[in-house]
Amino acid sequence: MKKIEARNIYKRFQNLEVLKGIDLEVSEGEVVAVIGPSGGGKSTLLRCLNKLETIEQGTIIIDGETLAKDTGKGAEYASTEDARRIACKMGMVFQQFNLFPHMTVLENLIEAPVQVQKRNKAEVIKEAEILLEKVGLSDKRDVYPRKLSGGQQQRVAIARALAMKPAIMLFDEPTSSLDPELTGEVLRTMRELAEEKMTMVVVTHEMGFAREVATKVVFMADGYVQACGTPEEIFENPTNERLKHFLNVIKK
Amino acid sequence: MLDYIISIIPQMLAGCQVTAQVFFLTIILSIPLGLLLAFGRVSNLSLVKHFIAFYVWVMRGTPLMLQLLFFYFALPSVGIRFDDFTAAMIAFVLNYAAYFCEIFRAGIQAIPKGQYEAAHTLGMSYVQTMRRIVLPQVFRIVLPPVSNETITLVKDTSLVYVLAMNDLMRTTRNLVQRDFDITPFLVAGVFYLLATLVLTVLFENLEKHFSRYDQ
Repeated sequence: MKKIEARNIYKRFQNLEVLKGIDLEVSEGEVVAVIGPSGGGKSTLLRCLNKLETIEQGTIIIDGETLAKDTGKGAEYASTEDARRIACKMGMVFQQFNLFPHMTVLENLIEAPVQVQKRNKAEVIKEAEILLEKVGLSDKRDVYPRKLSGGQQQRVAIARALAMKPAIMLFDEPTSSLDPELTGEVLRTMRELAEEKMTMVVVTHEMGFAREVATKVVFMADGYVQACGTPEEIFENPTNERLKHFLNVIKK
Repeated sequence: MLDYIISIIPQMLAGCQVTAQVFFLTIILSIPLGLLLAFGRVSNLSLVKHFIAFYVWVMRGTPLMLQLLFFYFALPSVGIRFDDFTAAMIAFVLNYAAYFCEIFRAGIQAIPKGQYEAAHTLGMSYVQTMRRIVLPQVFRIVLPPVSNETITLVKDTSLVYVLAMNDLMRTTRNLVQRDFDITPFLVAGVFYLLATLVLTVLFENLEKHFSRYDQ
């Protein structure tokens, strides 16, 4: 079953066209790595999927529900209420973590399940504790985010997104603002998620992760999907010139 | 001298009562109004935004004393008449709301975009995002400037003497003129200092409470 269907997406910032007719399909349990040079539109594509950015043209269907529909004269969005509900089927992990600094780790995790999903608080706390154990941070339950290292904050952010029981997880360069020695712990958590067959879209510069964990790799540059395929197709036998150039540059 | 001080205390306390009324009413009304104006100022409604910017410019750009005189003496000429206390309250609330508006606006704009984005991806509505995520962080940021403004207000209340209201300051002046003794000035000074001391301690504790997550 398709979890994400994005067709013919156009996105412009003032006069700058960032996405020029992007297609992206993600099936259940797939781990899609989106790679490419900075400014190529990778993050923008991800942010369009959950309406952090709005598109000018194209169709976005999430988990069988239409977020935006192409009318021929531009994209038409679902109602605010529906769009909000559809968008939060996707958990999102940001480069800058974006934890809520005035809440403890546990409060960060339970905030949206209790306030938005109106779930039973005691139950949510129990689940949150399990999630914290999973990301290895049970002992940080009552600590404020500022006391945590970047890697720990990012793992809390992953747990916070998971607490919403999302159908899909989006990662926007989750390790790009971490010190090199801290990226490992975050990548490990993401790898475990992939093994549990979570559907994931990961914008990343970690080629090792893309190669080993992804089931599909999408190479984006200049606002287009230049190449798309299995990790072998992308990394071992690249045919696209832009991709060959990119792989050569990052090898150095 | 002690006998003299004791003899003037009842009158000075009566003055304090007027001062305290002006102070508390201004705080209670101007802070929510300032917050409301700040939301308008950061909204996407261009008409509202420009109107509030103009309002802030006028209220901060003219002396509070002029505003007091305007509401009491100038408005009756167009048929709007207030008693002295009402006129004073209108001037104080409108004036302080302008300052609080700017303080809250700065606080709201200091919250990183990522906080709104995280709330969005967690499905929170605008109201939920403001109430649960943004405002608690704003309150911490604005406490020092709000504390500053509050302490200024304690002393600004003395401006009501131009409307011949018998606040602490005017009562004191009357006593000095009546008795040819400057002791009431000293007593008034102590009263003002005590009031600001209480506020200083109160705000220090509030700041400590709200900054617990950043140590």
